[in-house]
Amino acid sequence: MKKIILIFLINILSINVSYALIEIDITRGNLDPLPVAVSPLHVDIESENYKDMKIKELGNNISEIIENNFRSTGLFNPLKKDAFVQKPDIAHLKPRFEDWRLIKAQALVTGKLLIKNEKLKVEFRLWDLAAGKEITALAFTTTPSNWRRVAHIISDKIYERLTGEEGYFDTRIIYVAESGPKSQRIKKLAIMDQDGFNTKYLTLGNELVLTPRFNPTNQMVTYMSYFRNMPRVYLLDIETGTQDVVGNFPGMTFAPRFSPDGKKIVMSFAKDGNSDIYTMDLKSRVVERITNHSSIDTSPSFSPDGKFIAFNSDRSGLQQLYVMRSDGSGVKRITFGNGIYGTPVWSPRGDLIAFTKMRKGRFYIGVMRVDGTGERLLTENYYQEAPSWSPNGRVLVFYRETKAGLKGEGFTAKLWSIDITGYNERQLKTKTDASDPSWSSLLTK
Amino acid sequence: MIKSLIYSLTFHSIMILLTILSLPFMLREPIDLPPIVSVELIQISDKTNIPYAPKARKIIEETKKKEKRLVSEQAPPAAKAKEKPDRIPLPNEKKEEKKIVKKKQNPEEIKPEIRQSSEFEKKEIIDTNQIAALIDKAKEEEEAVEQKKTSEITQSSQKNSFATGLTLSEEDALRAQIFGCWSVPLGLPYDEDLLVRIKLNLKQDGTIMKSEILDHKRMNRPGQKFYKVLAESALRAVRLCQPLKVPPTGYDKWKELQLNFNPIEMLRG
Amino acid sequence: MMFNKNLKNVLLVIFTTLILSACSTAKKSTLDGDVYTGKETVKFLAAGVPDRVFFATNKSSLTTASRATLRKQATFLRKNKNLNVTIEGHADERGTREYNLALGERRANSAKDYLMTYGISGKRLSVISYGKEKPINPASTPLAWSQNRRSVTVKVN
Repeated sequence: MKKIILIFLINILSINVSYALIEIDITRGNLDPLPVAVSPLHVDIESENYKDMKIKELGNNISEIIENNFRSTGLFNPLKKDAFVQKPDIAHLKPRFEDWRLIKAQALVTGKLLIKNEKLKVEFRLWDLAAGKEITALAFTTTPSNWRRVAHIISDKIYERLTGEEGYFDTRIIYVAESGPKSQRIKKLAIMDQDGFNTKYLTLGNELVLTPRFNPTNQMVTYMSYFRNMPRVYLLDIETGTQDVVGNFPGMTFAPRFSPDGKKIVMSFAKDGNSDIYTMDLKSRVVERITNHSSIDTSPSFSPDGKFIAFNSDRSGLQQLYVMRSDGSGVKRITFGNGIYGTPVWSPRGDLIAFTKMRKGRFYIGVMRVDGTGERLLTENYYQEAPSWSPNGRVLVFYRETKAGLKGEGFTAKLWSIDITGYNERQLKTKTDASDPSWSSLLTK
Repeated sequence: MIKSLIYSLTFHSIMILLTILSLPFMLREPIDLPPIVSVELIQISDKTNIPYAPKARKIIEETKKKEKRLVSEQAPPAAKAKEKPDRIPLPNEKKEEKKIVKKKQNPEEIKPEIRQSSEFEKKEIIDTNQIAALIDKAKEEEEAVEQKKTSEITQSSQKNSFATGLTLSEEDALRAQIFGCWSVPLGLPYDEDLLVRIKLNLKQDGTIMKSEILDHKRMNRPGQKFYKVLAESALRAVRLCQPLKVPPTGYDKWKELQLNFNPIEMLRG
Repeated sequence: MMFNKNLKNVLLVIFTTLILSACSTAKKSTLDGDVYTGKETVKFLAAGVPDRVFFATNKSSLTTASRATLRKQATFLRKNKNLNVTIEGHADERGTREYNLALGERRANSAKDYLMTYGISGKRLSVISYGKEKPINPASTPLAWSQNRRSVTVKVN
């Protein structure tokens, strides 16, 4: 008996009370944009003057561009500057994390700039306020007039660090600037930074221009023009401004796009009531016929690996989307839903195809997987079409037109963008009415 | 001639009369009454106190009997097994509670209080096979079972809180707090396996002594930048949430916590 | 109360009967299905020779009326052997821009092919498509759209 009691006592004493590890599943958070504080960049006192630039305000201006970029994504919430607790120069050296956390910021951007010997040097740091440490620091040197691009590049780096995805701020958008009455529109090719600044016109507006697209290096543009009343595909060199007709075909060429390696242009060629898809090698000028069908085949778009082409055809009776190999073989229809589909564009990530859908008098912008499954409609409107992808495959830019009155009054055309999750639909700033947008790739690559 | 006129007039008047009389009937539509939704309000007390439904109680008593049988068949590895045969069911019940609790924390449910009892009643919560599996686990975890008699442990089928773990409301409070602090990075792909497990060592006041990402090696592997971003956001959430809403007592229970961050529900939208 | 109700119903019934019965209010419609059949926007190459034909949505097929118009054009062209024309194809705004360019081209060729079957040489007929870029009616109504779905024959010399 004693033995048993002894064993019992020993057991009790030797047992450590240990509890099983409690596990709690956190499956929800808030969808609120991440609060970020962007401190104005500190302007080094040794900065020299450069032309007629307002050096003193440069630090502020750069931080404003970064803030606007962040705000436009819908993922970040840049906090108001009046609440900022530290001066830019000190914050850049040693931020007082607790103070910054007080204004509810989770990340902090600080930086400084110096203009010397006609060069602009910008340095920035990204701080994780919860962890209390710096998580990214980079410096850039360039000509002072490029200061806007520096702000965009900084935005891209921070975006990538905080979301895991490449940014899309150091990019341009090419589009058709429209003006005038609806039945006599004046159209010019226009190019601008993705935030609406630095708009430049590339044509004069004497003839209709349509559907411009960048090449992979963003140096050239292909588009369709009615120059001399002959609708043809042209090539434009952005630096030199020279325009070159792409093959003088005996019919109409239109809907041009570059191949992913920039060596070919794929387009539609219409003759005798039939439109087919052709490619032309830009160096050798050799033309290859890709589709050969009595239906209308148009709006071709290469996959990012160059192996496939998505296009729009009415061979089934109405406009639908098809995918084929880039030599024209293996044509497969991918849309079977209710409605008619057009303007397929392959995502730079290769995983999705964006499109325009028309059903019961309404227009939709949507995305689907490249085999046609998983169709998701992102937005609906009286009239909208022609989506184009941001280089990170997350945002689509497209254009919308409004209804016109009996004399065509009240008609507007504007550029809009939307995230592929369907969130954050917003209008892009353009000086005039705009249509046919196309997004460049990242300018720094 | 007059005859046919009279006939025509009579028939026409009959038609018109019929139409007049039937029109109002056509206009009236059947009234659609919305179905009556019955609502049961359950209070959540400090000690989790789930009223067993009669069916569930029967199942639990059956399994208790089954366990008792099993226990007696085992060769006693320790004196404890004989001493307190009633003890063994505890870890099972704790596990049951855990399982139920986990399922209940479906964020889609609007009124957790209401769901609590009805969920319990509806489901076949306790599959006897599951219990058998748990009992095997119980064998391994016998050392983990608390031996001390505390006032919290009772054998009454009415009150059933458990020795290890948080009560429902305590867990809810903590979870809700972290929900509020976690800014989910929306840029994540929604078809990848993204689960971040963080182990926390806490002080009595709810502040963090030590935090550890259980899969931290994955963070620095190439192609796992999304995992890294998610892990960082989870760490941020936890740090910003300090002091965590921990229960005032039972420090030993929760001084070590593991939080499993899984954004898949939010990303699927 | 009952009396008033009945009176209302009586009036309703009589009214409906009048509408539905013999009194055919044949409003002159300028749309046959989807195709414009009216006279607005139509110009003339010569007396009695309309310069354009109209199409249904997404279609490039010729209606009976279109064929009649084209036959008149063919006769006119046979009489004026030195006249060359351009056939412009147009589409309404309710479609994607690139497809509408192709559709306009198809419509213009529809007209051209028909003219050729009546002996007009293809060399005299050039074709151009403007898609939806040059609407003749800028309004956003089905009537305007039907007027814009057209193929217009334009004198070149």
